[in-house]
Amino acid sequence: MDDHDLYAALLHETKNHLVLLTLTLDSIPHTRQDAHDAPLDAARLLGHKVAERLMQAMLLYKAEAGALRLNAVNAYSPEDMVAEMAQQARSLAKHLEVVARVDADVPPIWFFDRNLLQMALMNAIHNSISYARARIEVRAALSDGMLALSVRDDSDGYPEHILELTAQGLPLQSNGTGLGIRFARLIAQAHRNEEREGELRLYNDAGAVFEMRLP
Amino acid sequence: MALADPAPAFDYKSKTALVIDDFPSMRAAFKTALAAFGLTKVDMAATAAEAISRVKRTRYDIIISDYNLGGGRDGQQVLEEMRHLGLIGLETAFLMVTAESVYERVVAAAELAPDDYLIKPFNADIMRTRLDGILAKKETFRQIHRDFMAGHMEAALAGCDGLIKGRSKYLIDAMRFKGEVLVAMGRHDEAGELYEQVIRMRAVPWARLGLARTLQLRNRLPEAERLLVTLVGQYPELVSGYDLLADVQVAMDKSHEAQVTLKRGVTMSPRSVQRQRRLGQVSYKNQDIEEAEGAFGAVVSKGKNSIYLAPDDFANLSRVYLETERGSDALRVIQDNQSWLQESTEGKLVASVMTGLYQARKGNVAEAERHMKEALRHRQMGADGKPELLLDMAEACLKSGLDEQAAQLVSEVARNAHDSEQLLDQAKRIYAAAGKGSEIDEVIRKATEQVARLSKEGALLAQKGDLVNATGTLLQAAQQAPRNPRVLMNAAWVALRLMEEDAGQSQHLAEVRALLEEAWNIAPDHPRIGGLQTKLRLVEAKLGFRSVPLRKKGPSHGRP
Repeated sequence: MDDHDLYAALLHETKNHLVLLTLTLDSIPHTRQDAHDAPLDAARLLGHKVAERLMQAMLLYKAEAGALRLNAVNAYSPEDMVAEMAQQARSLAKHLEVVARVDADVPPIWFFDRNLLQMALMNAIHNSISYARARIEVRAALSDGMLALSVRDDSDGYPEHILELTAQGLPLQSNGTGLGIRFARLIAQAHRNEEREGELRLYNDAGAVFEMRLP
Repeated sequence: MALADPAPAFDYKSKTALVIDDFPSMRAAFKTALAAFGLTKVDMAATAAEAISRVKRTRYDIIISDYNLGGGRDGQQVLEEMRHLGLIGLETAFLMVTAESVYERVVAAAELAPDDYLIKPFNADIMRTRLDGILAKKETFRQIHRDFMAGHMEAALAGCDGLIKGRSKYLIDAMRFKGEVLVAMGRHDEAGELYEQVIRMRAVPWARLGLARTLQLRNRLPEAERLLVTLVGQYPELVSGYDLLADVQVAMDKSHEAQVTLKRGVTMSPRSVQRQRRLGQVSYKNQDIEEAEGAFGAVVSKGKNSIYLAPDDFANLSRVYLETERGSDALRVIQDNQSWLQESTEGKLVASVMTGLYQARKGNVAEAERHMKEALRHRQMGADGKPELLLDMAEACLKSGLDEQAAQLVSEVARNAHDSEQLLDQAKRIYAAAGKGSEIDEVIRKATEQVARLSKEGALLAQKGDLVNATGTLLQAAQQAPRNPRVLMNAAWVALRLMEEDAGQSQHLAEVRALLEEAWNIAPDHPRIGGLQTKLRLVEAKLGFRSVPLRKKGPSHGRP
């Protein structure tokens, strides 16, 4: 077994353990007692975050020269995507109101890499769960011919320095929020259709808005 | 602006599931997660073999399989075997679970894709929404799938069109299935247009592969080749692309290119028995014995647990060894697998022929004769053999003084291969090497004359639109060449067209079904066979007969 095989086997093992951990946590019922439910929810959220970091690490490891390669662009339903992400948010944050919204002009299908897009949106949802006061909205809209999938919360919004750095397209610091955003931007940019490239937009609008725009 | 509804809640209580995973703790976790959805009727399998034997006994609504199963077979192979053997139908939901994100690229154009997949790590909610999604889609397509299976192709097409026009979220799925229905109906032009329509929306790999297949079926081979070369260049993991490209290249007489193509496919996915076998055959044809040996060797070693392993695979490997003067290796291949080969008459035939040929080449005439007499007995018992094996048999017969039997064998091969120069040349070489070259030409001429003439006449009559006489003539040709899949398919095609036009000609139906069954058993992967099967279903439905699937002949050689 050479180093590469060992590395692959270790990763495989880690993923399996993580699935087991997550499914085990998911199987513990809520008791409506704060002393039980609060640490359980915290543990589940942490489990999700660890899984997400692991996936990001692997993706960046495989990324060539800073560009991600999409695995499987296919037709998916934006409505399903929004429903699935909202369901994730609901299950992780019972104390928040989670709203799923699909604008009437959004087409029934759009082409994207579902797995990667989910990673990006999950990162935004995790952030919003940490900062939102009472409400998270997952939304699909059509904007300038692009599909805009957004996660919006009622927090104080992104700090100025993050908005500035993102607007200038500069690399963000590699911890916490910065890492997830940097990663989401790579995913957005990897989505191309004819001459257009996807983009990540972050802005404040009565809270933080995280928006993946896909051509 | 509309609020999106949460996914519809399915009643999992009435469903049954099979979980396939080699880790006991993972199986238990799946079971717990499914129980939380209300699904308690869950069976478990730790290996591919166990899973196959379970689906043979029980029908499941949902199958969840890990991609990485250990023991030489992966989840994709399990899925393919279950579908190929007809063990699960379109109504069974198959969810693949994988830690390899590269699997997404493989599955993006796989001919047999699971209904959906989960990439590890994942959580119970994602698993639930994926299962809900699959079940909702199955529900939407239920009638379309039923119509398709029952041969009501027009109804299946109408069902797809309904979804396409209705702004459904299943628009692309409906187009994809419609493409398959059109191909199955032999409407290749329309299928090609449909794939082009999808490609105009987005050049997704499966649509490009579908287009390439219709180009192949329409005999537009250079276009198909160009398309596929670009496709596998962009998606090197797309193994089905290599298979199709190699078929196209073989049909274009570019067998050296085909070998390179298959080699790349095999490097990408070394476990596929069929691809290794194909590489062996093409390399052997190219006289690249070293590559042929490697590939045929891989078939035998990697195919140990596969249902696709056939007795002929041992003959292929043994033959390559004989060719390179390694007789003892050739003998060892047969002897090491004697118990498996003795399980079927075809296996027994392979064992006798290859052992006899080994003895014959060594000059042990008496030993060779003994084995060949045994082989001839197996033939009388109805043992089938590939033409290459029959020619091996002819050579060994010739070398052990069984001249008359040799001539009969060559005659049988020639009758069934009047259109294959490779086989006819091989027969001539065998006789020339035995110093009997002058006898063989007459044998071959006699054997091929009639079937060649009937085939040509039948084709001409069909072109003129005289389907009645074309059918009669081609059915005669099929009787002459009962092992030539092309002759059988031509006869079946024309007869089906005749019955489609004139219901009064239904007396041919049983014969056509038998011809197709035979052709399918000889050449299961032939590009025309699927279309013909569908046509048969269509005609049977039209004439008011209940259609059943074609039967696989002979004993199954699958190891448990």
